[in-house]
Amino acid sequence: MSAVERLTQFIFIFFSFLALLFSAKYALHISDYVIPSPRELFLELPLVLRPYLAATINTFLVSVAGHLFSTILAVCVAMMASLKSWAGRLAKTASYNLQAYPVVAVSPIIFLFFGDGLASRIIIAGLICYFPMLLSFIGIFSMPVPEVEHFFAITGRLTRPLSIKIRTFENLEKVITVVVGSGTMAMVGTIVAEFLAATNGIGYAIRKALYQSNLSRILIALFFIGLVSSLYLAALEEAGKWLKRRYIGA
Amino acid sequence: MAEKKIYRRLRPPRHLYPLSLIICLIPLIMPILSGCSSTKNKGHEKRQYTIRLKWLFNASTLGEIWAKENGIFKAYGFNVQLKEGGAEQDALTEIELGRADFGVASADQIFRAVSKGAHIVVLAQVFQKNPLQWIYIRERTAIKNPVDLKGKTIGITFGGNDEAIFRAIMGEFGLTEKDLTLYAVHYDYAPFWRGEVDLWPVYRNTQGVFLSERIRQQGETPGFFDPYDLGVAFVANSLVTSKDMANRHKKVIEAFTRAVLEGWREALLPENIDKAVALLKKYAPATPKDILRRQIKETMQMVIPKDERPIGTIDIRSWKKTLHIMKAQGLIKGKVDLKDLFPLSPP
Repeated sequence: MSAVERLTQFIFIFFSFLALLFSAKYALHISDYVIPSPRELFLELPLVLRPYLAATINTFLVSVAGHLFSTILAVCVAMMASLKSWAGRLAKTASYNLQAYPVVAVSPIIFLFFGDGLASRIIIAGLICYFPMLLSFIGIFSMPVPEVEHFFAITGRLTRPLSIKIRTFENLEKVITVVVGSGTMAMVGTIVAEFLAATNGIGYAIRKALYQSNLSRILIALFFIGLVSSLYLAALEEAGKWLKRRYIGA
Repeated sequence: MAEKKIYRRLRPPRHLYPLSLIICLIPLIMPILSGCSSTKNKGHEKRQYTIRLKWLFNASTLGEIWAKENGIFKAYGFNVQLKEGGAEQDALTEIELGRADFGVASADQIFRAVSKGAHIVVLAQVFQKNPLQWIYIRERTAIKNPVDLKGKTIGITFGGNDEAIFRAIMGEFGLTEKDLTLYAVHYDYAPFWRGEVDLWPVYRNTQGVFLSERIRQQGETPGFFDPYDLGVAFVANSLVTSKDMANRHKKVIEAFTRAVLEGWREALLPENIDKAVALLKKYAPATPKDILRRQIKETMQMVIPKDERPIGTIDIRSWKKTLHIMKAQGLIKGKVDLKDLFPLSPP
């Protein structure tokens, strides 16, 4: 799906949602306090356009870093967990257990050690989006490709790193799909971190708007988040297509 | 070719696409629609009335709990459901959507709502004094007057009412952001304990009690910086309902207000303190009894007026001051007419 197509679809869905929201507002005579009027949205937009755009870009950059961090983390943990040794089983159990805790509950510990700055935002973003990747990577790294690995095995050249490489290459499409799919979750994770305890980013801006019951600002923030997420996903998809073309000629 | 024909037959007609989109989007606004049917016309003895409190069950909600548990609501003919509030549970929104009949909200929330066209009225001002204050450790921080704030780091919930209050203090005493440091606070008190922040915003009658206990355990002395002492009166918890309810069911709102205020009056009688602690323990089981006792004693200072006026009296000067602060800081843009706000106690 091209970036333009993704953006068009997002804008269509977002404005349909707004239209429905406004219809509900006027049909049920709901005040601007509960659902802002279109006029209020237009009045708020110039006030927050620049700070919200900057905040969204800030969040986006952190989420890219978080996404990268989570991909590396998922690969490392999956490599350990795919081992049949005691350490591998421990790594697997630990990663599954960690996922069982809601990030909101774990976050005070993260903030305690890393403060409420950039590091905590990246870690929380990473924790939220790494698990689907981990599951896929464990599956990929644990599943032998006998028709290729057999050759290296009988010549005595099959090492652990080589088998990981073979399995990744043979499942490249799966790897790309899961990495692209977790991109949105990285953005969500960053926003959650900002909402909980940051002083930057669009999540923090939403929190401030929530304190002031300012739904118009929240709607504007949602628009920017959707816009940037759509662009990020489109970019990741393009990168995935390029990788596939380059390595498997698909 | 044949497959394509079958596929075309199976595909829904193009004119149904917008309909399918609407169906997909409906779940997103269903939560709003679901609350919009209220049961406003039933007799008040038969129906259940819902009151959305401002925060979780704690000392600040004692009066309502007392009225429910000691049969005061029942004596007035009400069957009442108490619902906890919270950061995402706004009583004013709930009232407008018909999910609650009454609510407890602070003046800043009320002014914001009214300035945006919400039809809300105030029935009673439960807290005569805002419990929001700043805690500090006397051994580390010396504050005798507002000028002593210079050079200090002050915790602020940006966007919250403590920001409005503190900026009003700064304006009143000629302080600018160059004179002090404003620090964004979150749920975690660690920056205060580490000494990175000198003054931390707390509700004096709840967090203030257990934080001061912890400070004493460290062998230090807690202090409170109280905006009210500096003339910055910012109205806190007040009983509210919809204008429609006030216009159409005047007897109901009068009776309900009397019941709530009677609950507060009885709960805060010194001879009832043991009963009040036991009752609150039922609703807030995680808080130790001695902390609850001290929280209730602090709440007395906030709720019971200093003069002979009854509990719940609307202090119009404080409301005007709050409105002035919010307008001066550009926090509200629309018009707010105080004359329409108090159906039971006209200013």
